[in-house]
Amino acid sequence: MPNELPLKDVRICDFMWVMAGPASTRILADYGATVVRIESPTRVDTARTLQPFFGNQLGPDSSGLFANCNAGKLGISLDLGNPAARAVVHDLVRWADVVTESFSPKAMRAWGYDYESLRTINPTVIMLSSCLMGQTGPLAKIAGFGNMAAAIAGFHNLAGWPDRAPAGVFGAYTDYVAPRFTAMAILAALDHRRRTGEGQYIDQSQAECAIHFLGPAILDYTVNGRVEGRVGNSDAAFAPHGVYPAAGDDQWVAIVCRDDDDWRRLCFAMENQDLARDSRYASAAGRLEHRDAIDASIAAWSRAIERGAIESRLQAHGVPAHQVQGSADAYTDPQFVHRGHFVALPHPGYGKFTVEGPRAKLSRTPATVRRKAPSLGQDNQHVLEDILGYDETRISELVAAGALG
Amino acid sequence: MSVLSPYRVLDLTTERGLLCGQMLADMGADVIKVEPVGGSPARGVGPFYRDVPHPDRSLYWWAYNRNKRAITLDIERDSGRELLRRLVARADFLIESHNPGYLAERNLGFADLAKINPALIFVSITPFGQDGPKAGYADSDLIIMAAGGPLILAGDEDRPPVRLCIPQAYLHASADAGVAALAAHHERTRSGLGQHVDVAAVQSVAMATQSYILAAPLGSIEARRMSGGVKFGGFEFPLVWPASDGYIAMTFLFGSALGVFTARLMHFVCEQGFCDQATRDKDWIAYGEQLVSGAEPPSEFERVKEIVRKFTRSRTKNELLQIAVERGFLITPVTTIEEVVKSPQFASRDYFQNVAHPELGESFRYPGPFAKFSATPIEYRRRPPTVGEHNSEIYRDELGLSGRDLAELARAGII
Repeated sequence: MPNELPLKDVRICDFMWVMAGPASTRILADYGATVVRIESPTRVDTARTLQPFFGNQLGPDSSGLFANCNAGKLGISLDLGNPAARAVVHDLVRWADVVTESFSPKAMRAWGYDYESLRTINPTVIMLSSCLMGQTGPLAKIAGFGNMAAAIAGFHNLAGWPDRAPAGVFGAYTDYVAPRFTAMAILAALDHRRRTGEGQYIDQSQAECAIHFLGPAILDYTVNGRVEGRVGNSDAAFAPHGVYPAAGDDQWVAIVCRDDDDWRRLCFAMENQDLARDSRYASAAGRLEHRDAIDASIAAWSRAIERGAIESRLQAHGVPAHQVQGSADAYTDPQFVHRGHFVALPHPGYGKFTVEGPRAKLSRTPATVRRKAPSLGQDNQHVLEDILGYDETRISELVAAGALG
Repeated sequence: MSVLSPYRVLDLTTERGLLCGQMLADMGADVIKVEPVGGSPARGVGPFYRDVPHPDRSLYWWAYNRNKRAITLDIERDSGRELLRRLVARADFLIESHNPGYLAERNLGFADLAKINPALIFVSITPFGQDGPKAGYADSDLIIMAAGGPLILAGDEDRPPVRLCIPQAYLHASADAGVAALAAHHERTRSGLGQHVDVAAVQSVAMATQSYILAAPLGSIEARRMSGGVKFGGFEFPLVWPASDGYIAMTFLFGSALGVFTARLMHFVCEQGFCDQATRDKDWIAYGEQLVSGAEPPSEFERVKEIVRKFTRSRTKNELLQIAVERGFLITPVTTIEEVVKSPQFASRDYFQNVAHPELGESFRYPGPFAKFSATPIEYRRRPPTVGEHNSEIYRDELGLSGRDLAELARAGII
């Protein structure tokens, strides 16, 4: 049996845009699905306008975010408001196993592309809608981005310092969480269809799926009535547990003691016999009580040492520690390099364009990033001719009608 | 019918990686949690029901083991390993999160178990992956967030970078593992073969950098942390704004996609008397480029943000939300957990689900189905299992051990 890409037989007609949606079909593309990404020729995908940019320059294809979310897909430009586009959409839906969309609710219905309409064209189609708050409810029509869903789902309030305004999680947090739930839902629905012949409609609220990442805090409220708040980098059970200064400007290292053994090893690695002998610090309860004093002692030691050296020294003693890494650090981090996390894809405009590689390694049929993200309308000809079987006359008519932008 | 009901999953995860099995269990898979005698270390993680530590009352355990069954088994001993092999022979997936090499040293690694069941999909969730220079690193949530990129991007400028205080790293990794497991399963329906899925949490959390992890290889400047926003190229872009009674998240950004929303907002801000027409009519699409080129002085950007802040501060969170719904602004409230649970939006979708805990004579609201499936809705069939709750169901009814065998195994401390 040849080792083929796992999803080589899966076809996805992908109306999703911006981040949460495209990031999910990117995963499926890595596993081999054929994803035809429909992009509006008039309304630019927000992701194309967001940093980081190649060479720090805004351009139609320079967004690293767009490139990262859409690598491996085919791109077609289609003006969904143009009547001539309707037949193309219908043909793509007929071709597809899965139709995905992430507009605000009602957009697909307004075009006549809701599930009830599409299943008359393809009775076993699986359709998934992903939006901030779900297809129904008083806030269904709130449009926007994952930073907004993160705020309303409780994330922002739990990141930061108790004596300050919420620092918030970075960026569009639910857009990082939701794509995995999206991809799992699609794969499970495909299995159901394989076994039963039945398609279905999946309504995914990005906020609702993300709330599972706050599960223990939700239960602490519904069970104990406690409303958890932000606590900086403290942990309820572990101390020390923090981010400490290292030598240099704004350089940091994370250090954690999970138990008394970690604490003894940390003191040994710091060559601090006084701390090691201090009976107040021998147990977790004592260290939690005196965490500020302990944090001050660690910071006094760490701020003179280069962060990588702290990481190596503490890890050599079995103490959880890691330098706090930005992009440049991660790009040269030996573990990221070993895992092949950064993949440089050939790019006609830029030579090489680096995206993140697949996040899971499959031993027999590994995922792969097959190509760079499409430029707007890059694959119009291929999709219309090779996938949908249109002849030149038909394609010229679409162009003349302005359906492709 | 549940979507994954034909499939059996053995869940050997420790306190990390529990969500993977739960996602499969929520979709109907028969997930059996295999725990050491006395229970999983995850049962020792707080908070606890009424704040009293107890292996069956960890809310962390409850959050990530719904819909699973649970057995105890000592895999440190030969007879325990033999029972595990018998279970593996009839399993479709195995999920584990031990340190790399732990199971292989006990002859329970992927290579060993694939001999018993070539169709087995064996999923490993670890901090840094199965191999490589840091594969043996000691870890915790904070360590992974530091290594993988999200930590450096969040926090106040004058304090250390800060994490979300509910651990996230293994949830990201679990979710990636779940997708990979089902992709491998899809392939198995053609080839009949299983494989090893190797997930590194450090790679999974890099997802939470919004692709800023690519800044260096792309030659872009890196984003810097700033409370409630992001600092980029020396400019501060707030994403959290004050309301009269708390905070809101508001996307106030520029460019061909987002500038349209900002223009819409500024019209309203002007209408409400917070700024003049010249301020309202700035080119919000080109505004970011004007800042970078210097055409728009930084002091002017600061003035604009102060105007917007005055506007947001003049309204409550809910007033701003209602305005946003009516006018298509990019605003949501920053909510507490209590506000999340009491939200009319989630209530209108019957999101939070009551799960009965008969052993406590109570029921509690849990986060609801992660998606609404029209043909195969997610059902909460079982509350999280107590220690060894399904030992006799599995060992006696399924593997055919006698009551005496079971008693013997219990006496020997195998189960």
